Amino acid sequence: MTGARATILVVEDEPEIRRFLRATLDAEGYRVVESPSGRRGSIDAATHKPDMAIVDLGLPDMDGVEVIRRIRRWSGMPIVVLSARAHERSKIEALDAGADDYVTKPFPIGELLARIRAALRHAVRPPSGRRTLAFDGATIDLDARNAMRDGVEVRLTPIEFRLLAALARHAGMVVTQRQLLEEVWGPTHRDDTHYLRIYMKQLRDKLERDPLRPRHLLTETGIGYRLVADD
Amino acid sequence: MDWKRAWIGYAWAVAATALCSLAGMAMRPRFDLVNVAMVYVLAVVVVALRFTRGPAISTAVLSVLSFDVIFVPPQGALTVDDVQYLLTFAIMLGVALVISRLTEDVRRRARAQADLAVEAETERIRSALLASISHDLRTPLAVMAGASSSLAEHGEKLRPEDRAALARSVFEQAREMSGHVSKVLQMTRLETGAIALDRDWASLGEIAGSALHQLAERLAEHRVILEIPADLPLVRVDAALAEQALANLLENAARHTPAGTVVRLRALRSGGEIVVSVENFGGDLPDADLERIFAKFERGEMEAGGGMGLGLAICRAIVRLHGGRAWAERIAGGGIAFRFSLPVEEAPGIPAEAAALP
Repeated sequence: MTGARATILVVEDEPEIRRFLRATLDAEGYRVVESPSGRRGSIDAATHKPDMAIVDLGLPDMDGVEVIRRIRRWSGMPIVVLSARAHERSKIEALDAGADDYVTKPFPIGELLARIRAALRHAVRPPSGRRTLAFDGATIDLDARNAMRDGVEVRLTPIEFRLLAALARHAGMVVTQRQLLEEVWGPTHRDDTHYLRIYMKQLRDKLERDPLRPRHLLTETGIGYRLVADD
Repeated sequence: MDWKRAWIGYAWAVAATALCSLAGMAMRPRFDLVNVAMVYVLAVVVVALRFTRGPAISTAVLSVLSFDVIFVPPQGALTVDDVQYLLTFAIMLGVALVISRLTEDVRRRARAQADLAVEAETERIRSALLASISHDLRTPLAVMAGASSSLAEHGEKLRPEDRAALARSVFEQAREMSGHVSKVLQMTRLETGAIALDRDWASLGEIAGSALHQLAERLAEHRVILEIPADLPLVRVDAALAEQALANLLENAARHTPAGTVVRLRALRSGGEIVVSVENFGGDLPDADLERIFAKFERGEMEAGGGMGLGLAICRAIVRLHGGRAWAERIAGGGIAFRFSLPVEEAPGIPAEAAALP
């Protein structure tokens, strides 16, 4: 996406929030299309063909989750959700409906920008090419299936590696518990959340400098996990 | 469920009478009829104390009938040939009526008193809420209005560093206020039972890490020590709520202890529960405050750290929903520990995976 300016669709009913989003996104070099309602947003998503969408969950005319479903019927564009509700369930519902990430209002704008960058990067990742990522002395090569920490190979079990790879494929973005359980252990284990607690601890013990205060293998409590790597 | 309770009352009437009849039959060879009648009186008293007038009167009537049929000669037949037994009946009925009346009175008075207490508590909370809104929300609003109007009207004349500082203070105050508002909403939701626990296996290590991450900025000036044993069992909790309970304790520590001091977060298994503590060293609280500090809108007498006094109350409400306790106590060597406990359940197993990646 470097070069051409990415277009972002903002589906949000509050004009004041749209105003500051537009100002900030403009300043960051994005092109902004504003939609004041869910119905309008679903149409604008089709006519403007934006590179990604930011959707507020609390729209007056239509549940934001419904907007996500409508977009997902025909497009895989990244969708980041704005949620005023502290309730985890609505976020999970949005993520299950196909949203890629979320930000809880009120949010520092830096957080939203980071989510946008991660989402756009994920969308344009070339299908070929070596997939590696690095953070804080750790490097992970998804193709060679190995991980190093401070130049020393870290021995990961097959499940640990599959879990790390699932997070790495969505680097910077939240991955729900159910998504991880299905990807790593299979659909019959989608409720075995205790697997995740145990294996995430093992991964942190092996890869984080201070496993009790992780800075890269983060917990999104009640929702899932997020791998934050270097850009 | 009034009808259900009434139904139980009538069932008791029948059961108590039957029981007395059995007892009476056992007594009969050695005791006078008068004493047998006393046993029935006991049944009437018990039912009248526990239930309303209907079951009490039923017990009286059933008792007199049973007494007459079973014990008064000619046995096995309902005959009222002796004026004595009419008197027995009248007394039983009297006892039933008097006792149900007394019980009813006592119940009504207790209810009225409870209502009064609730009203007083509601009133106290309402005035505390108003006081806290006027202080804790008006101050940030004043700062935000002042700083932002200054930016809007004199933006170009301000030095860049002042401009940045004003903008930052608008953001910080807004965030603080948003925190207050969510706490008030959260407390209300917890109190009205509008929160359903979404329990799942959770790791306290993760919850602690995540709560610390959430409060990293607030605790940046403190020295945070984290002590969580590697073998601590998983807990079955609503992880988001548990994180909030812990974050509130940490926020309390950040707010009320001076920068540069130590805050220790630890979790320990102790018998059938896990105790999570946030400890600070140095400060002290009077005994009365230790007791009250987890109550709504209470803050320590001597503190001036701001905050609406809802954080600890929310922590306690969340912990209670999980079947745990929350309390504060002094620790040896000076300092206060804010603790909560969560019950331990046996976590399900996980298949072993021995092989490391070659």
